[in-house]
Amino acid sequence: MELKYFIIRRALVIIPTLMGLTILTFLLLWAYGPNLVAAGFESEKYHNVAAALAAQGFNFSDPIGTYFSYLAHLFTGNWGTINQPISAKTLTAVEIFFPNTIQLAIAATIVSVIIAIPLGTYIGARPNSPADQAGRIFSLSGYALPAFWLAYVLIILFGKKVGVVPYLNIFPYDGNGSLNVSSPIFNNFHVSTPTHILLIDALIAGDIPLFESAFMHLILPVATLTYGILAGILRFIRAGMVDASNQEFVKTARAKGVPEKTVIKKHIRKNALLPTVTVLGLLVSSLLGGVVTVEYVFDYLGIGYLAVYTAEATQVWGILVLTFIFGIILMITNLIVDVIYAFLDPRIRY
Amino acid sequence: MVEEVIGLEQVNAGTKKYRPRLELFSATVKSFVSNKAAVIGAVITFIYFAIAIIDTVAPSVFGIPSGEYTDLGYYSKHISPVETFGIFSPGTSHGFKYLLGGTIFNYPLLPAMFASLKFDLGYSVLIVGVGALVGSAIGVTAGYLGRWADEFMMRVTDVFFSVPFLILAIAFSTIFGHDMLSAVYALLIIWWPIYARLSRSLALSTKSLNYVEAATAAGSSKVRNIFYHVFPNVLSPIFVQISLDLGSIILIFATLSFLGITNLPYSFPELGALISDGDNFVTSFIPLPGFHLIWWPLIIPGFFLLIFTVSINLFGDGMRDALDPKLRK
Repeated sequence: MELKYFIIRRALVIIPTLMGLTILTFLLLWAYGPNLVAAGFESEKYHNVAAALAAQGFNFSDPIGTYFSYLAHLFTGNWGTINQPISAKTLTAVEIFFPNTIQLAIAATIVSVIIAIPLGTYIGARPNSPADQAGRIFSLSGYALPAFWLAYVLIILFGKKVGVVPYLNIFPYDGNGSLNVSSPIFNNFHVSTPTHILLIDALIAGDIPLFESAFMHLILPVATLTYGILAGILRFIRAGMVDASNQEFVKTARAKGVPEKTVIKKHIRKNALLPTVTVLGLLVSSLLGGVVTVEYVFDYLGIGYLAVYTAEATQVWGILVLTFIFGIILMITNLIVDVIYAFLDPRIRY
Repeated sequence: MVEEVIGLEQVNAGTKKYRPRLELFSATVKSFVSNKAAVIGAVITFIYFAIAIIDTVAPSVFGIPSGEYTDLGYYSKHISPVETFGIFSPGTSHGFKYLLGGTIFNYPLLPAMFASLKFDLGYSVLIVGVGALVGSAIGVTAGYLGRWADEFMMRVTDVFFSVPFLILAIAFSTIFGHDMLSAVYALLIIWWPIYARLSRSLALSTKSLNYVEAATAAGSSKVRNIFYHVFPNVLSPIFVQISLDLGSIILIFATLSFLGITNLPYSFPELGALISDGDNFVTSFIPLPGFHLIWWPLIIPGFFLLIFTVSINLFGDGMRDALDPKLRK
């Protein structure tokens, strides 16, 4: 099968899941009941809740009709308003908070991949050595550690103003609060403009101290996120390395006198990294989960932060939309991962 | 053919009776015991469960009467005004209760952690138990029936897997309000798909085995096949999954409390809530001379939780290795 057709077929598989996701979030909406749903649509302007809902095309005695109006709202971005953590339209809140999460997620992914590949190669080439045992313990702790607790451990160790050891208090941890928010690039919600990605915005504005500060603010959140993801990737690369090193072609390479370094790099690692691509989808899932707690602890203005605060105040439009968005991100990542894998390994396409 | 039959009789007539199930079991146990990490994990897990049970049955053993976990209730009844002046640090001589110091309102940390186990472990076991039971029943049935039932189940579970679990848990728990039970209901709703997928794949590989076909040929009905022949054979991987899941569910449960989704009162004995209480001391800390960081209400409950999750993971990994005959030496 050509790659083109594989991509089309794989993309079509998303449709039922997407439909299912809209149904799931609609069931949530139905369970919240009319009062909470109307709260997102300036219901005080109307005589009663039913009138406020009717103006949006919702009628809680007609599930089918309401489902279709809900779909219309969902896909046109008419997501009502929220009050916490900022008072704005849900669409606006997502727009300005989302890029920050992308920045955090990409930074964490890059750091963990940069660390995981050489480390995984090293460990995987020496199964059952002390390094391997250490790696195993590290992987296990990555699964078992409560991410929010790790974040606080890092804050206590390295956080500015908190450090137990005087010379270790290096990194600020209190989110955008301690940034120079009087800088003109910040909007009313303390989020930078125009791209809403602080590092890029600071560079565009040419504000180097702000860039440095933003970079320092990223270090602890990224370290916390990386720890969890790294454990997963490392475990997988190690297994792939051990698997690949038992293959016949590795023995052949060694028998014909290829240097050991080349065997590990070109024969074993290349084959070990291939299946690792498939876990990336899984990692994005854990990354998105991790983003929620990390952003909450570090007061980092991203959609995870938004999700926690909207949930605490039961602002249903925030919750529904963010559930939907997190779902879509995960679906698209899985699609991309599958396509990359099919591109790298032609056997998958058949 | 004839020789084979004679061989079997010789085994039966031997001094040792041939009991395959018992032998399999003892081999599994032997393999598990030889794995030191797994045994340590099992022992620590057992200790945690013992603490939880003792604290439920006889709360006075650990020096705290039950039912006084509300924020100011305990504070006003048990702490004299002198004691509220400071939070006791660990290891100071204030008796066994304050062995690990105090947390917010100088509530004793050690009994609070012990008391939290009965909620954390109790609800985790409930959630995983119900999830495993419901999920594997659905999964085995779908896998065995195949066709539309299978397709439908796969599409439904796809939807559940398309959203990160923490987000789903947050979204569902807000339906039920903001208390501990709302988190439990939410996790009950979202935790079956893992087991449905797992047992479906196991059922698919089991149903085409010869003995199931033989049972069908002997007149066994579909329902009997599912529950009598297929289900018992998917049990051991499910038990492994249960033990590994206990570790993740307790983490998600604690995370929900920590994030304030369950909105628990101060010093409520739940590990996530205790950690959340402890973070107040850290984030509001100002390093002036003479002030010391009150780190223990944050670090100790988290470490207590970490020890449990590590142990149960070691235990689960050990069980998986022991139950898989291919890995046995």
